[in-house]
Amino acid sequence: MDYLLKITPVIANGLGVTISLFAVVLLLSLPGGILAALLRLSPIGIVRKIMAFYVYVMRGTPLMLQILFIYYGLPFIPYVGVQLDDTTAAVISFVLNYAAYLCEIFRGGIQSIPKGQYEGAKVLGFTYVQTMRKIILPQVIKRVLPPLANETINLLKDTSLVYILAMNDVLRITRGIVQRDFDTSAFIVAGVFYLIMTFVLTNIFNYLEKRYAVYDE
Amino acid sequence: MSFIEMKNIEKSFDGLPVLKNVSLSMTKGEVVAIIGPSGSGKSTFLRCLGQLEMIDRGTIVVDGTSLVQTTGDGPAVYSDKKTQQQLLLRMGMVFQQFNLFPHMTVWDNILIAPQMVKGMKTADIAPIAEQLLKKVGLWEKRDVYPAKLSGGQKQRVAIARALAMNPSIMLFDEPTSALDPELTGEVLRTIQQLAEEHMTMIIVTHEMAFARQVADRIIFMADGIIQEEGEPEAIFTNPKSPRTKAFLDSML
Repeated sequence: MDYLLKITPVIANGLGVTISLFAVVLLLSLPGGILAALLRLSPIGIVRKIMAFYVYVMRGTPLMLQILFIYYGLPFIPYVGVQLDDTTAAVISFVLNYAAYLCEIFRGGIQSIPKGQYEGAKVLGFTYVQTMRKIILPQVIKRVLPPLANETINLLKDTSLVYILAMNDVLRITRGIVQRDFDTSAFIVAGVFYLIMTFVLTNIFNYLEKRYAVYDE
Repeated sequence: MSFIEMKNIEKSFDGLPVLKNVSLSMTKGEVVAIIGPSGSGKSTFLRCLGQLEMIDRGTIVVDGTSLVQTTGDGPAVYSDKKTQQQLLLRMGMVFQQFNLFPHMTVWDNILIAPQMVKGMKTADIAPIAEQLLKKVGLWEKRDVYPAKLSGGQKQRVAIARALAMNPSIMLFDEPTSALDPELTGEVLRTIQQLAEEHMTMIIVTHEMAFARQVADRIIFMADGIIQEEGEPEAIFTNPKSPRTKAFLDSML
């Protein structure tokens, strides 16, 4: 017990990296995903094809590989190649990856809204942007909340992949302790930390679902 | 000079002609009912005026402003976006499926377009919205979401929503076709009331008795053309075209 109390604050030090990476990526990939979905449904064929290819690449390769490529591979690309610091590389690869998944979720949501909603808005004089912002997307949010909760919780757990960039998140610190002390109980502490965070997220999404339940379709 | 002038409208879907040279001329305050079998093109014709469909050929002029022109053998050429929008705002349209916004209360459904599209202040639109909701008999339902309303109530909200934009023409696309029979009366009475106020209206409908009662003129469409048109009494009691006669017989 003393041991657990001793290592808990050490592991908690990793929360900063885990939570800030999670929050920044979520804040950027949500609008990114919506924008990607709108482009994916663009009337312009080439735009649709580019977005389909982007989604294909992002879903078709491991996130780990994408992180490694952005960090280690990017500097070798002529002209555009830059060496990013670890945090920037992590944020960029996570946002690109998660925006692709969210793109598909939002696309499904947008396509599930009946055509009549667009027509109703059109005859009232709404522009495309007004229709999307006021009529379509608010209804899409309600419909995609369950898969959105999935992706959000996945993101929280996926942040542990940044150990590959030697960033000291919860899991990397925990592994360090286990290897130093030859004692696996640190893993339990880390597990509890993740469970607490997902508990908070689950409740936030439950609250949102309840709030959106004020209307039926 | 007619108020609405639609001339030689042609429209195909994937090479299949749905409107073959259809023309309609209306005066201000006139009520026209379009009847005909399913697939006759009557809804498409209405949707062309409401800019939900683009015509292939023909001319549409509303109150002296041209929406679309066709010269010679060329394709239809639409006016600029600003003119299109300006004409769109003169139309109110009511759909078979209501198309209310389910995530907004009745009140917000009515306020949103005047606020967003016309930039009206809540203080300016609220009294109008109140008056309209009272007119359609749904003032006490203002804080309810559409899903909690009956079909007839939804359609009356949809009519109030369209009227809140102060249109000079109302287009009704089978407004009672999705309703239970016992709920059609309340919607038809609302439309009837508009007719008495001399609103210019085009009503696509399957309600023959209603069309006969409310319309100044009946248009019978089939196979993408106007088969016959005239005053209700003439059409219903003494149809000239055998197609009209067969259709009316089948409706009774």
